[in-house]
Amino acid sequence: MAVFLRDLLRYRAEFRIGVALVAAVLLLSVLASFSPYPPDSVYVVPPDLPPSLTYWFGTTSRGQDVFWQLSFAIRNTLLFGGTVALVSRLVALAVGLISGYKGGWLDRVLMSVNDTFIVIPLLPILVLFYFVMRDRISWLMLALIMACFGWAYDARLIRSVVMSLRQREFTQTSLFSGMSTRQILTEEHLPYVMPILFSTTMNNMVWSIGLEVTLAVLGFTDINTPTIGGMIYWANQHTAMVAGIWWWIAFPTITVIMAFIGLFLLAVSVNAHIDPRSRLWSVGGAS
Amino acid sequence: MHADAEQPQRDQDAQPLLSVRDLQAYYQTSHAGVRRGIRAVDGVSFAVRRGEIYGLAGESSSGKTTLIKSIAGAIRPPLEIVGGSMEFAFLPGYGGLHRAPPAELERIRWRHLSYIMQGSMNVLNPVRRVRSSFVDFAYPHIGGSRRRFEQQVIAHLARVKLDPSVLAAFPHELSGGMRQRAALALATICRPGFIIADEPTTALDVVVQKEVLGMLRGIQRETGSSVLFVTHDMGVHAHITDRLAIMYAGRLVEEAATTEIFGNPLHPYTRHLISSLPRIGDDAPRQGLGGAPPNLADPPSGCRFHPRCPLAREICRREIPVMGESAPGHRVACFAVNQGERA
Amino acid sequence: MPATTLSSISGAALSGYAGYVGRRLAQFLIVVFIGINIAYLVTHASPIDPVEQSISAVTSFGNTAPDAIEQMRNSLRELYGLGGTPVQQYLTFWKRILSADFGPSLSAFPTPVGTLIVRALPWTAGLLAVSTLVAWVLGNLLGGLAGYYRQSRGLKLMGVIAMGLHPIPYYILAMLLLILFGFIWPVLPISGGAAMNLPQSLTPEYVWSVLQHAILPALSLILIGVGSWFLGMRSLVSNVLAEDYVVYAELAGVKSWRILTSYVMRNALVPQVTGLAMSLGGIFNGAVITEKVFGYPGLGSLLVDAVYAGDYGLVLGVTTVSILGVSVGVLAIDLLYPLLDPRVKVG
Repeated sequence: MAVFLRDLLRYRAEFRIGVALVAAVLLLSVLASFSPYPPDSVYVVPPDLPPSLTYWFGTTSRGQDVFWQLSFAIRNTLLFGGTVALVSRLVALAVGLISGYKGGWLDRVLMSVNDTFIVIPLLPILVLFYFVMRDRISWLMLALIMACFGWAYDARLIRSVVMSLRQREFTQTSLFSGMSTRQILTEEHLPYVMPILFSTTMNNMVWSIGLEVTLAVLGFTDINTPTIGGMIYWANQHTAMVAGIWWWIAFPTITVIMAFIGLFLLAVSVNAHIDPRSRLWSVGGAS
Repeated sequence: MHADAEQPQRDQDAQPLLSVRDLQAYYQTSHAGVRRGIRAVDGVSFAVRRGEIYGLAGESSSGKTTLIKSIAGAIRPPLEIVGGSMEFAFLPGYGGLHRAPPAELERIRWRHLSYIMQGSMNVLNPVRRVRSSFVDFAYPHIGGSRRRFEQQVIAHLARVKLDPSVLAAFPHELSGGMRQRAALALATICRPGFIIADEPTTALDVVVQKEVLGMLRGIQRETGSSVLFVTHDMGVHAHITDRLAIMYAGRLVEEAATTEIFGNPLHPYTRHLISSLPRIGDDAPRQGLGGAPPNLADPPSGCRFHPRCPLAREICRREIPVMGESAPGHRVACFAVNQGERA
Repeated sequence: MPATTLSSISGAALSGYAGYVGRRLAQFLIVVFIGINIAYLVTHASPIDPVEQSISAVTSFGNTAPDAIEQMRNSLRELYGLGGTPVQQYLTFWKRILSADFGPSLSAFPTPVGTLIVRALPWTAGLLAVSTLVAWVLGNLLGGLAGYYRQSRGLKLMGVIAMGLHPIPYYILAMLLLILFGFIWPVLPISGGAAMNLPQSLTPEYVWSVLQHAILPALSLILIGVGSWFLGMRSLVSNVLAEDYVVYAELAGVKSWRILTSYVMRNALVPQVTGLAMSLGGIFNGAVITEKVFGYPGLGSLLVDAVYAGDYGLVLGVTTVSILGVSVGVLAIDLLYPLLDPRVKVG
């Protein structure tokens, strides 16, 4: 694992950039713990001030410091993405592993359900969900329902990895040498599934954060918990762009784009690194 | 082992179709700033005459794949031609396909030089009909009306016992053996002077293998093509090749008529290869070869076979043996053999 | 070779295709069934009564007489099938959906929900079809070239841009375009489907106006789409390049343009078609939010405005139509798929 990370850092520019972007965003989110203002209070600073030495990223029309507000927002947004990714990972792993190892009719049934979840347009359903829940919608509830929908694509990936692993020679060898199924799974196959799991986690976070931003911007989430989308929602409510309070929208947007690109780069670089062909290109080794 | 192949070879000795001289092909890598070379082919010379099937044998890391990649001009980094030349009679003056200008390559490819690959079953484009492969590969060289071309293809397919309906089929609709024969037809439709065959039958079961080899032999006789036939399978060599070269760790160690190699192997490595073949009525225990094939990034000094050689002596560690003619048409690179004869 | 082979080949291919169509149709029905059930679950399993939600949303805009509210409550209960046992409710729900009857819209009373949806549908369908097609073709073309001509600087740069564009959510990109063309360089209309003062007809002025208004919404959908198809195609092509049939065609000196189109791209496109079917739902999500950002008069704007207006029937109607529409799109792609890949599995 350590060698894997070292190689990634050494040979993959995408990975280095990804790490740098994600680290910057994480640092900002950690700073939330040191904020001088509580996240939900308004009019604690003079409103509508442009960025300055006192207020680095300016202040909002609601009298909040954009910098500190942003650190809360990105923290909540990342936590949201992390929660969705974690829960959906459990489902994706379960479905992918069962489908891949058991095969047969169970695989066909699971994949049929799986493909359904892949193609169903989720946004209208989430909007419907918000419509019936209204103010009772909470951050966690939204995360859970998104996790219920966000596993399907990755389950398919995990399944295909498992199926190719099952075909490989070493699986047969370990089977004949008397390893138990559990041993084969954990000792032989898990190392191959882990990188896929990592890259799908990153991609899943990109996906869920994107949807959360979208919903929040429309006001279809718990708008009192500061998130990136929530910040843009309030900025839109106060017509910040028209009023020239560009910093209220610009900084959250830049931050979340950094998070998206960072997470995505981590995913693609790990993916590319698993593929032995492209690994050879980047390391420059011979066959 | 075809005794009748000996006769025409004599007359055409003067001008071989392919002559490889002192070829050196290395994989050059630079890992963390340190340049390293894997000497996959290191000083190989041989000639393929007109109308013969020239066999090349060796185990999987012997460099034979690198050798045919070089001859075929399929040279991509990190593979590099470091020295030597490969001269085709139909492409004089360039010393290898990799140095020929694109227009020249276009002229000779498939017309004069074609290939049968290891994955012959998978050489047909899976999403297009078999006909389109023939059109893409051969029509630019054969020309004429489409109808005449199609008739020519159908006539050629009959040589490999394929029905014309194959042309309208997709590759996945054909059996493995049919695909193999279609690939053989595709490689020979232009009656090329030279065919490079790289483990063409390795993936096949024995019955299909024999059938395909027979068809290749038949077409080769009819068209008078030369074939460079590469496989690790000595049994296949015995079945089809006229002359045979044995490769070990990037160098040729022995070359002679196939009958001569099997009847009178001289190099210890050749002897090992032949003695490990199963024979009817022979129940003596097979003797294994100690040690492993050498690491070509850091090959053994002197004769590369010496660490595993039962006849190794002091000189083998120090000096590189050169190919010497032990009998007319029989070359071998071994101090033990050559000195033994002198003594 | 026996002559029977060919007839058996085409026979197998035919039954293979019939079987394939059967399986795709079954999958289509499963998607619709599960999708509608999810919509049912979401609306009925929630602790909150959607009718009360609608009423509170409507009444919050002004004072309404109590008996009027009661009347409204009853008609809503009847309309949305919230009366009777759960089984009855479930059956009523399906009956409404199968008969495409979502009742009158609350926010545009008494226009039926169906009429509103039919009015909005062509806008969304047109925007989605054009932008998805353009993005798919462009992304695959450029991605294919980038995978084949690995050394080209321009294509490498495009790869970097695609990497940066692809992960950005539709909303953010749409907003950036809105800021760019609405505030910084106002050359394009940023809201609506066509100029308000033009009558809806096939006059050149109207068509021109429709096209102009579609540029920004389409552009934001296309930019993100191109990025993702580009990246997918580029890596697919680099895999296909190592396939025996490509290596062989190169050895044979088949013209490189021919190899690129008929061998490399043609084979790499096959998974991209499957990919298109799989991502249709996600693209639709993008269209919803993009329409809202640019005030485009399609299903997305209709949906969001329906939520703001508390129009339960309209929200449910748009959701159902979206599930159906996307499923039909997926089915259409699935049925066209064998044209591109003759190896449709028989099993």
